[in-house]
Amino acid sequence: MPIVYATGASHAPGITAWTQAAPVEQKDKLYAAFEQMRQSFAAAKPDVVLALTSEHWINFFLDHVGAFCIGRADFYDGPVEPWLRVDRTRIPGEPQLASELLAHCYENGFELNYSHEMELDHGTIVPLHFLMPDMNIPMVPIMFNTLAEPRPTPRRCVELGKVLRPVLENSGKRIAIVATGGLSHDPGEAGHGIIDQEFDAAFIDRMRRGDLAALSSYSDAEMLAAGAGTMELLAWLCMAGIMGERGADLIAYEAVKPWATGVGIMSYPLAA
Amino acid sequence: MSTYALNKLLREVNRNPQTRERFFADREAVASEFELTGEEREAVIANDVAKLYKLGAHGLILRPFTLIQQMPEPDYLAAIRSN
Repeated sequence: MPIVYATGASHAPGITAWTQAAPVEQKDKLYAAFEQMRQSFAAAKPDVVLALTSEHWINFFLDHVGAFCIGRADFYDGPVEPWLRVDRTRIPGEPQLASELLAHCYENGFELNYSHEMELDHGTIVPLHFLMPDMNIPMVPIMFNTLAEPRPTPRRCVELGKVLRPVLENSGKRIAIVATGGLSHDPGEAGHGIIDQEFDAAFIDRMRRGDLAALSSYSDAEMLAAGAGTMELLAWLCMAGIMGERGADLIAYEAVKPWATGVGIMSYPLAA
Repeated sequence: MSTYALNKLLREVNRNPQTRERFFADREAVASEFELTGEEREAVIANDVAKLYKLGAHGLILRPFTLIQQMPEPDYLAAIRSN
């Protein structure tokens, strides 16, 4: 069974929590893009969502830091933030596929952490609730450590995607991939509000061309220079690794000052 | 981020409703439960956001910590940029 859907989308909490703070043209463009993504997601009829995502000191802290953590839980609750203006809900898990992915990763050079209990914050919930408003399709999350140094390198994230791909393609299930986060932003830090549009344009260009060599060549410092939140794009790099040399279409990009984020949505053209 | 205990305290206040309630009732008591340096302890008790950031509080821990105290974004940014 092929991968039937693959989209990367920003998860800035302002998208849902401070929607009206954004200039109306920007907000309308992005909401139209999310609606387009919802329709294509539904048309793809996925059985499972692989969420390549990150979190913000909710499940993980400096008492135990891993590079990647795959969820083997029966369900995931979220969002944890009562102010996000998204109803708290329970999304079913898909522990069997998670375990297959985990075993395959161990055999192929990636000893992922795993967890039987993870809560979801805006990092996962914001894009997901647009794509599947009913929050009813089973998911497997892989959390990327984007916060604490050292982080996994862009090269390794692309490599991880390449390792995941055959299990997804041979799973017998219709797989949707959703990568969350980015683009440039520096949330809560001194550079909060700065959006590096030049970085974002170059990143989008590499994704469009499916240029895995260029995507792999990013350094941690180079991405960090565009803001700490830019590291969330590690999840997108993993998606690019799964999708191989295919290019992703740009659905929308807006540098939204009140949301303090370069908000981007890209999607791979796939036969449903 | 070298200031492990400081971030641990702030995150506990953010994440644990009981710790949060105790903290805002008696900052000194809760601060004494963590292995803080003298400087960190003073900044926590004084709610000195600029100092907390300078000492190494992570932005995605410190901003939620100030949000639960209803600190407006411009005030927060002015504080962390004042160092």
